[in-house]
Amino acid sequence: MSEELTGPEKVPSPEKVPRPIDLEQIRELLESKKGRMSFCLSACAGCTLCAESCFLFRKHEEDPRYMPSFKVLNTLGMLYKKKGKVSREQLEQMKELLWKNCMLCERCYCPLGIDLPNMVAFARSILRSQGIDGVFPHSQGAPEPE
Amino acid sequence: MIIAEQKHLEELKQVLAGYKKVLNVGCGGCTSVCLAGGMREVDELNTKLTASFKAEDVPFKIDAIVVERQCEPHFIADLDRMVEKYDALLCMGCGAGAQFLAERYPAKPVFPALNSKFVGVNRDVGWYEERCKCCGECVLATTGGICPMTMCAKGLLNGPCGGPQDGHCEVNKDAPCAWIQIYERLKAQGRLENMCKIFPAREWEGQTQGSLVLEQYKDRYAKKTE
Repeated sequence: MSEELTGPEKVPSPEKVPRPIDLEQIRELLESKKGRMSFCLSACAGCTLCAESCFLFRKHEEDPRYMPSFKVLNTLGMLYKKKGKVSREQLEQMKELLWKNCMLCERCYCPLGIDLPNMVAFARSILRSQGIDGVFPHSQGAPEPE
Repeated sequence: MIIAEQKHLEELKQVLAGYKKVLNVGCGGCTSVCLAGGMREVDELNTKLTASFKAEDVPFKIDAIVVERQCEPHFIADLDRMVEKYDALLCMGCGAGAQFLAERYPAKPVFPALNSKFVGVNRDVGWYEERCKCCGECVLATTGGICPMTMCAKGLLNGPCGGPQDGHCEVNKDAPCAWIQIYERLKAQGRLENMCKIFPAREWEGQTQGSLVLEQYKDRYAKKTE
């Protein structure tokens, strides 16, 4: 930054003071796109064709954790299944699937037309609403800005 | 990636003066990675702006949202249902993101919160270096992987200029001379003949608005780009 931003209040670090999970906010977010997302989640036939189009899946010796459908079903799918009742630990586990295991390159192909990238983006936005962000270097424990 | 840095708080307060309800739009792409416009930076800036306006008794409310990438239309489409509630948008993406927001919401003032600096590399956390001018005529194959447009203070395509002293640039004595580095690199690779190649004057395509349609997509976009 070109200069230390000045303000009358010291800003607390989101990492140092993890706020409690706001279940109501998660539920509201899930509700806002429930129709479209639930339809997409239920439409998945498990054909695994999306996996073939994921370069990370191919690069990681076809590790199923890199399959686009796996990533979506175990994050957004789980959030809908549990109706948003998740713990911070569960959200933290989803972080790896949503950021480390997905570049959001939008190249995953679904023969049924399921919009997988949008589902990953939506799941990421839910995690962000709870102060969880997996973008490098935050995911690597970047030092706090001075 | 694109490297950006935050504008001064006072500058942002000046442009936001008079707007009571603002939406700060962060970007989960490049500006997140360079610690300028991701979720954490959006929250920090909002806290500082709120506190600063409050201290002056100025009514001001600012909300936060981070979209995955501001340079893609379907990612910013999530904002469609939100922007009506706000007087203005503050953009923590790069200049491209700010322009894309302004294009999508022409009725709303869009203010950039960042200065986009350059296309660069992540040397370490919080340490970025420019490596590409996006000039459109890459010469790295000839110059040993060192860009004279970016690394030479004079942007010389045929160098060195004659000014370097002890391997350092005469413009910035702390910086190594790019052309001496090119010479050393080529010498180590046994490709010194490249130093004798004279580059003709450039067409400076990079100075005009860039647009690229891949060959295999040209039919698809033929009507739009005509």
